[in-house]
Amino acid sequence: MNTRNPRPSTAGLLVVGKDVPRTDALPKVTGAAQYVADIHLPGMLHAAVLRSPHPHARIKRIDTGAAATLPGVKAVVTGADTAHKKWGCFRPDLYPLAIEKVRYVGDEVAAVAALDPETARAAVDLIKVEYEVLPAVLSLDASLADGAPLVHDDAAGNIAHEFKFERGAVDDGFNASDVIVEGTWETARQWHTSLETIGCVAQWNNGRVSMWCNTQTPYLARGRYAVALGVPEAQVRVIQTDVGGGFGGKSGDDNASVIAALLARKSGKAVKLIHTREEEFLASHPRMPMRYWVRLGFRRDGKVLAKEIKMLADNGAYTGKSQAIVGAATVRHDALYKYPCARAHSKLVYTNLVPTGAFRGFGNPSADWAVEQCWDLAAEKLGMDVIDLLRMNAVEDGDVSPHNHKITSCELRQCIDKAAQLIGWQEKRKHRTPNRGLGFGCSIHVNGRRSFGDWDGSSAIVRINDDGRAVIITGEGEIGQGTLTVLRQIAAEELGLPYEDVDITRPDTDVQPYALGALASRVTYVAGNAVKRAAAVARGQLMAAAAAQFKLAPDELTIINGEIGPARGRETEFKSVASVVRAHIYQPNGQPIIGIGNFDNPSEFPDHSRFGNESGAYNFAAQAVEVEVDPDTGRVTVLEMASAVDCGTVIHPAAAEGQVQGAMTQGLGLALIEYFDWYNGAPTDPNLKDYPIPSAEMMPRLHVAFADSYEPTGPFGAKGLGEIALDAIPAAIANAIADAVGVRIRELPITAEKIHRALHPNAYADEHSAAPVAPKSSVWTRLSGGKPSGGRPLKTEMTVATTVSEAIAALQASDATLVSGGMSHALRRERTGYPLSRRLIAVGRIPELNALAIDAQGILRAGSAVRLQTLFDEPRVMHGWQAIAEALAAVGHTRIRYGITIGGSIGPLIGGFDLPLALLALSTRVTLAGPLGLRVRTLPELFETRLLQHEMVTAIEVDPLPPRSGSCFYKYMPRHVLEIPTVNTAAAVSLNPDGTCGSARVAVGSVSRKPIIIEFKQFYGNFMSAELVRAAVQEVRTLAQPQSDVRGSAAYKIEMAVEFAARALCIAWQRAASHVKAS
Amino acid sequence: MLVKFILNGDPVEVALKNDDRLLVDVLRVDLKMTGTKHGCGIGACGTCTVIIDGTPVASCLQLAALVDGAEIRTIEGLAGATNLHPVQQAFINCSGLQCGICTPGHIMAACALLDKTPDPTTQQIRNSMDSVYCRCTGYSRIEESYRAAIALARKTASA
Repeated sequence: MNTRNPRPSTAGLLVVGKDVPRTDALPKVTGAAQYVADIHLPGMLHAAVLRSPHPHARIKRIDTGAAATLPGVKAVVTGADTAHKKWGCFRPDLYPLAIEKVRYVGDEVAAVAALDPETARAAVDLIKVEYEVLPAVLSLDASLADGAPLVHDDAAGNIAHEFKFERGAVDDGFNASDVIVEGTWETARQWHTSLETIGCVAQWNNGRVSMWCNTQTPYLARGRYAVALGVPEAQVRVIQTDVGGGFGGKSGDDNASVIAALLARKSGKAVKLIHTREEEFLASHPRMPMRYWVRLGFRRDGKVLAKEIKMLADNGAYTGKSQAIVGAATVRHDALYKYPCARAHSKLVYTNLVPTGAFRGFGNPSADWAVEQCWDLAAEKLGMDVIDLLRMNAVEDGDVSPHNHKITSCELRQCIDKAAQLIGWQEKRKHRTPNRGLGFGCSIHVNGRRSFGDWDGSSAIVRINDDGRAVIITGEGEIGQGTLTVLRQIAAEELGLPYEDVDITRPDTDVQPYALGALASRVTYVAGNAVKRAAAVARGQLMAAAAAQFKLAPDELTIINGEIGPARGRETEFKSVASVVRAHIYQPNGQPIIGIGNFDNPSEFPDHSRFGNESGAYNFAAQAVEVEVDPDTGRVTVLEMASAVDCGTVIHPAAAEGQVQGAMTQGLGLALIEYFDWYNGAPTDPNLKDYPIPSAEMMPRLHVAFADSYEPTGPFGAKGLGEIALDAIPAAIANAIADAVGVRIRELPITAEKIHRALHPNAYADEHSAAPVAPKSSVWTRLSGGKPSGGRPLKTEMTVATTVSEAIAALQASDATLVSGGMSHALRRERTGYPLSRRLIAVGRIPELNALAIDAQGILRAGSAVRLQTLFDEPRVMHGWQAIAEALAAVGHTRIRYGITIGGSIGPLIGGFDLPLALLALSTRVTLAGPLGLRVRTLPELFETRLLQHEMVTAIEVDPLPPRSGSCFYKYMPRHVLEIPTVNTAAAVSLNPDGTCGSARVAVGSVSRKPIIIEFKQFYGNFMSAELVRAAVQEVRTLAQPQSDVRGSAAYKIEMAVEFAARALCIAWQRAASHVKAS
Repeated sequence: MLVKFILNGDPVEVALKNDDRLLVDVLRVDLKMTGTKHGCGIGACGTCTVIIDGTPVASCLQLAALVDGAEIRTIEGLAGATNLHPVQQAFINCSGLQCGICTPGHIMAACALLDKTPDPTTQQIRNSMDSVYCRCTGYSRIEESYRAAIALARKTASA
């Protein structure tokens, strides 16, 4: 522990440091919490937005006529309905709706308000826009090329912001260095993926607009929205609803709320606008990708002597908070270690891509991605354990960075020791396991940041009511991080009231004092101080009132748990706070007890070169991870992650631990799994399947520890911690991978394929690169103007069939589709806005289609309406057909297996589906019913010949496997989360009594149009071996014709198809062999 | 189309605006039961999970027309007049939530599992949790909430 500064004890605190019940927990567990999408106002309309399908185009004409006259439509707005004012946090460059030009795929062009969301969406599809497509810049390099098209005419060279500095003698530092390491690293866009999307309900009344927003920053949003709407700030009222996740993405840089207000003004009604998930991916402001060149110089003993960086940041089409992010990514890290000098040159570059913005970490994860890997390389070069190197150079309290960052409390070394201990660094380094590795990284973060002007403060009012309860009135709000709880704890502690007796209001800019909101890890530190001060003032008034009533001096009184009395008196002499306050008010000239507290971060407003102590205090973290790499696939499994954090006094341990765990998990996602396919400047299929976030089953063990620390300027010694535990995780994972298999990944994301390529370069020697293919997704079709034909109905009618012949008859009517579980129809409806067809025929209630039995011969017979979950729940399936059971398990979860029926799984004849693939490895017959009657086909035959018109699957029959058989199914999803597999495989092997092979078959899906089925006749009558299997499955290589996509390049998919065919066949064979041994 | 089902113990009749209307819209918009959340629309995130005849179901992929005659439970139907459901109480006790938007989904998934399997294996708990994304917590405290709920339910049963 650092003992340079004596610190007050926190041992006597009664409320601070305790896991009191969260303020927001009860409404959240009962469904009573009110998020913006939950608001229903009388007469409220619903909005939908038309977005640009082009990364760069001139708008020649917009025809809204057909949309405006669609029944149910109440308002249509375009750029012409706006104040023609650009808005934005630092560099106003964004119109609420495009004027003249669109600059990225997703740019808002027009919007509709209608009686219901379906009508609004249909109306948007009727708006016709004539574009002149312009050349676009879709990468940093394209944007910076000579003569590149300009994204904004006023930004020469596409530079949105640029700065450089040199502090100290950097060249001297490098000249004196014994070891120099350098390299270039790149990071990628990461979406906040809050499970609640951005939204707003807006309503005008008497010329003022009320906006219910799920914003993190109500006051900052109000100011910007007023500019965007072209009205005085006083005419805008922002009310914060419950916020379903923010992480920087709801800090008021997007157009959604402004468009809602425009529609509300034009329609005269309340309007609700909620981003669809697709819109959230297209048009929220994801993490900014950076290209980061860094050079570090060291003395032989490990002391750091110099640092230099050059950085390019991808702004996307509009700026938002990006220039502040570039600032943070450039300077912040220089206060983490004892750098004597630093030089930097940073540029923020416009591109015709989705605008980037604030995301938890605010540039620091990108800086850490580069610099913390550079330190790892330095340790290797210096021949030191990286922990010793970091420890030796770690900042301490009293240090001042080259940019005048003044370090007050700092327990970085303690954090390093704790993180190393949590992960078992020393022991694991001593006793190494093949393909496992350890990685480390550190980070520093602010507690509030002077960015929006020369004030980073907060104000609060604490009122003590005549019922003895106190209420905190603050403009700082809850976004899930625990603000309401933590501020109540601070106030209760200061007031001497029980936690339960302190209430807190929710932000409404008409009511609460001005506040900056939830950003820059500032709320606990800045708002906590303001609340503490306000509570102290209120307590002073209370004690003065009590003193008059007790006829004692205030300092002779004490307040314990809501009771006031003489400090040396008996309990019976104590009065309740309620009675003291009541007596104080109800007297001539009585006054309420109201304390006001203000706190401005003791920091400096940095100059253009970013010199200045941007925050009054800094928090620190050290993070360690252990990974395991599968060298045959490149897939990384993170086994454990540990964080030790210095956030001063911990106010609410459970909430604090939750913040750290959540941040680490987002770091894990950033490192390994959160990425899209791109085409022409946008994600090809912007949804939560193509862009997964970490799910429970992929989670490593998480370890969290807090340093023993006290921040002298913090409330009860506390600092912030919302962001810090994300920052170094990706770098630590990369360092661990390098430790495990010697592969250094420099570009995020770390994909299995990148590692596989590095480990097996020969496998890719003959690779041909294919031209990118236009995406087929319905989302993309809709965006690029491929609207469903005019005849497409919005309405659909459902017939519930009770017999197969009834269903077949109904199917022969025009424009009819079968639904069984109904999932594919629901998906289609969600993604296109239109039903599959005019008539739906529900077959799920036909009794014979729900039959499930295993007969005396051991044949499994299942009707096509049997849900996969029902099959999964049948224990004899696992016993008889392990491949089926494993395929059903691989489908995912109960709720997915419930939604899919056997018919729905087989009918489309998609080889990538799990169940049909398992059935292809076995002996399966399919019964079909059609206008001409019943017919039976084997499943492989059906894959060749397809279904006839108006035909449906009614049942499957699966033969039992012979004795001494084994089967197996495996689905390879490199990102560890449920998604379309890179490859899935099924295998079945039967052995003769002597152990030789009787039959062996493998089915491989997802790598060709039809599934690949191979019978390994060469094995029949012979003994199998792993080597023979490996050689035989090479045949897959010639049959696979995969397409490159987010799940891997074609070349990688072929490698994996061969690999997993071998694995599946070997497992099936071993399972069969176990029966030979057993008998 | 007229659909009848039992919602949290009460009979409900809904005239569907369209025969392919989704259950999540029937609950949230038609019945104003907004405790069930809408997260992704493609069954990936699980925030819209409700329990239909004992099974957790993604209400965003469930055609309402097909639940005729079913028994449906949502987050609003768990608590009694004075008592929370043990799973709800466990999520409070363990701080098993942050922003809360996924909480109804997680609680419904947990209820569906624990109703059928009062003493689940770790793998069953993880698979159940895996069916609902959470962007805030890293799942640790949700897993603790599951375990606390199991203990609470056992205590209630033996009391």
